[in-house]
Amino acid sequence: MSDFLHFSEHTLQEVALSFMALVYITRLIWLLHFAAGRERQAPTGSKDTNPTKGFIYSWANIAMPWAMESTRTKFFLYLQFVSFHLGVTAAIALSFVIPYAPSLLDSPALVILLQTIIGLAFIVGVMRIIRRVAGPYMRAISSPDDYFSLLLLTVWFAFAFLSVPNSTAGGEWHLIIYFILTAFFLAYVPFSKISHYLYYPFTRYYLGKTMGRRGVYPVRRIPRSDTTRTVQ
Amino acid sequence: MGNKSRSYKAEKVIQGMGRKLNRQMVGSLLACVHCGNCTDSCHYVLANPGDPTYAPAYKADQVRRFFKRHYDWTGRVLPWWVKAKSLYTDEELEELKDTVFGKCTNCRRCTLNCPMGVDYATFNRMTRGLLVSVGIMPEGVAVVSKDQWEIGNQMGVLKEDYLETLEWLTEELQAEHGADYPGIPIDKMDTDVVYSINPREVKYDPRTISDAALIFNEAGENWTMPSEGWDMTNFGLFSGDDDLGGAVARRLYEKVAELRGKTLVISECGHGYRSTRCEGQNWAKWDINFEMESSVITMLRYIKEGRIKVDKSKNTEPVTFHDSCNNARSCGLFDEPRELLNLVCSDFREMYPNRSENYCCTGGGGAMSMSEYTPQRLKSAKIKADQLRATGATAVVTSCHNCVDGLTDLIKHYKLNMKVTQLVNLVANALVIEKEVAVPAEVVTAAAEGELAGYRILVADDEPDFVTYAATVLEDHGAVVLRAYDGDETLEIARREKPHLLTLDIKMPGKSGIEVFESIRNDPELKTMPICIITGKPELRKLIYERAVLPPEGYVDKPIDEERLLRNIKKILKPVHKDEEIESRK
Repeated sequence: MSDFLHFSEHTLQEVALSFMALVYITRLIWLLHFAAGRERQAPTGSKDTNPTKGFIYSWANIAMPWAMESTRTKFFLYLQFVSFHLGVTAAIALSFVIPYAPSLLDSPALVILLQTIIGLAFIVGVMRIIRRVAGPYMRAISSPDDYFSLLLLTVWFAFAFLSVPNSTAGGEWHLIIYFILTAFFLAYVPFSKISHYLYYPFTRYYLGKTMGRRGVYPVRRIPRSDTTRTVQ
Repeated sequence: MGNKSRSYKAEKVIQGMGRKLNRQMVGSLLACVHCGNCTDSCHYVLANPGDPTYAPAYKADQVRRFFKRHYDWTGRVLPWWVKAKSLYTDEELEELKDTVFGKCTNCRRCTLNCPMGVDYATFNRMTRGLLVSVGIMPEGVAVVSKDQWEIGNQMGVLKEDYLETLEWLTEELQAEHGADYPGIPIDKMDTDVVYSINPREVKYDPRTISDAALIFNEAGENWTMPSEGWDMTNFGLFSGDDDLGGAVARRLYEKVAELRGKTLVISECGHGYRSTRCEGQNWAKWDINFEMESSVITMLRYIKEGRIKVDKSKNTEPVTFHDSCNNARSCGLFDEPRELLNLVCSDFREMYPNRSENYCCTGGGGAMSMSEYTPQRLKSAKIKADQLRATGATAVVTSCHNCVDGLTDLIKHYKLNMKVTQLVNLVANALVIEKEVAVPAEVVTAAAEGELAGYRILVADDEPDFVTYAATVLEDHGAVVLRAYDGDETLEIARREKPHLLTLDIKMPGKSGIEVFESIRNDPELKTMPICIITGKPELRKLIYERAVLPPEGYVDKPIDEERLLRNIKKILKPVHKDEEIESRK
């Protein structure tokens, strides 16, 4: 391993991680300085639910494609979402496994599993780029940050895929690029839309709490096929 | 921000945003990832394929861009990178107005379909409020808000007119059920129920009040209606003006507290229920010490407790139910109306999607008061029309007055064979009243014959509510009423039917009332037809009187009550048609 690769895997990552943590803490403090709106009214809607159930349902929404019409009716897009985010998780995990627990990658099964997950995420990334560029609705709502983040993540997936075996037999360049990209992401993410995962717990918590208090969450629906059922 | 100068109003809007932001709102403004999942959830998008400016994320970005430019770090440093952009001119504010008022009904359907939980409707409302604070809003919003601030209700109903209506309804109830029938108690202290209504009921649909009174009385309820602070609607919800929202809610809460009422019952109105039951306390920053419930829940409770009996065979028409967005998506009121419907109707058909996933009636968010956006509202209503048509029902029931208007309008526009009704009407119709009081024959005869018996009157107005109201009043007094909703239809019916009188609105689609008036006066066969102009646009009056033709026989400004309508109609008809002529027409 060259000194530069070692630097990329360790020092660079640690600095970038510290920077990200600092920026995130600053960001959270900023977000929390806004007062949370207070709900004064007595609960409405079904007595079976409450704010706690509401926000748990809201948080779990990510794993319940049937819960929203937008994911229920576009299941393929939901599968893409799952593949893409599993790929992100795997690629992040890889950036810790390679420097701190490389022996794990001696397992061919784990290598194949990670490459499958990251490879699928790469394909989804390409599909998402096409969707964003080709669709007039997506183009209309996209900013340079949207295009850049997606493009960069897709490229990152490609290098993560190549880096999974942690082999330098064919050279170190793929590992170096992967770690430099990872470090770049750590520094860039707090300023880009990729930081959405930081806000997800907030938005979902508050929406879920409100909707739980008002008896809307968990959503109750009767499928169209069940024409005989009425609520009594 | 560069050297570009900014208008005073734009500056105020940007500053105002800083004061309105709370944690929920900031989260929603930051969290959008532009995934596009919300796009298909919006009825405007579905009805306008290929136009991305209706997409919820696109509309949200029109607000988000100046939030980012002024309150978010990336937008401050690299605005072009995240499409952040400030506001500079009043023209930009006008464009923003068209987005937040004209392209969104705040129905919250996109919110429920956003994987990130972005509550676009909430910050769309905030933006409306910011624009309203600098006087930028649709004309209708300004007029209604002014009425609610000044007169205390959003339709400008005067106290004496309101009390007269309740008195008249009491007389009707007593005529039908006997002189001892309780009628409508006003300002009774220490009651179990204080009943609040929508001013639309007083002006256009008083039957809903008498039906509710019948139900309360049959249930043996100790109830009352307040003489003031009776309007449970709240235009603050639509205009985004929290001060108005708080003032209106407080007016109602204070009256209930003054009367020492135990429960405030809110008549069937989606935004009224949400505003009064939920948001009002937040806007007014006031914790109340009495219960509040929708009249739907009250009626259901009466049936379950055996306080009223209903016979569902009295309502056999196939009905479907439209969930109001404010009731279902923001207050969880969707099971009770269905339970009630199944108890009072024999043929209830579900509409899909429904409950919190239902589509907006397209008249929500105050859209019915914004006539400048009517064409795009009606175009977007195609989604609702398709939903209604698919049910095969001939009546659509809804627990919202706004939805009644929105649905009535789209049913007419899309030529659906349906009528709109409310649960209170169906429950009243299904009531089993054990002690029916025989109505004296002469009362029936008097009502049927009426003072206008034998007259054919054409009511022309593009507001279906007004046509229904005027027709009901005139028919109750014996007239045969013809209805027209635009200028061309008015002329066609006038030529074909040659009515004894035409009541004519000035501002109508197609040929305006002024053109219709002139055409009639220039038509040799119609020129002597008496015409009464009834308009909400008094500023257009001179346009009528400037014509080189005979002036109209009558002219009345809206709003108009029953007494004034009848007085003017009778004043015109009596001198023109002698008694013998009337007899010959009978």
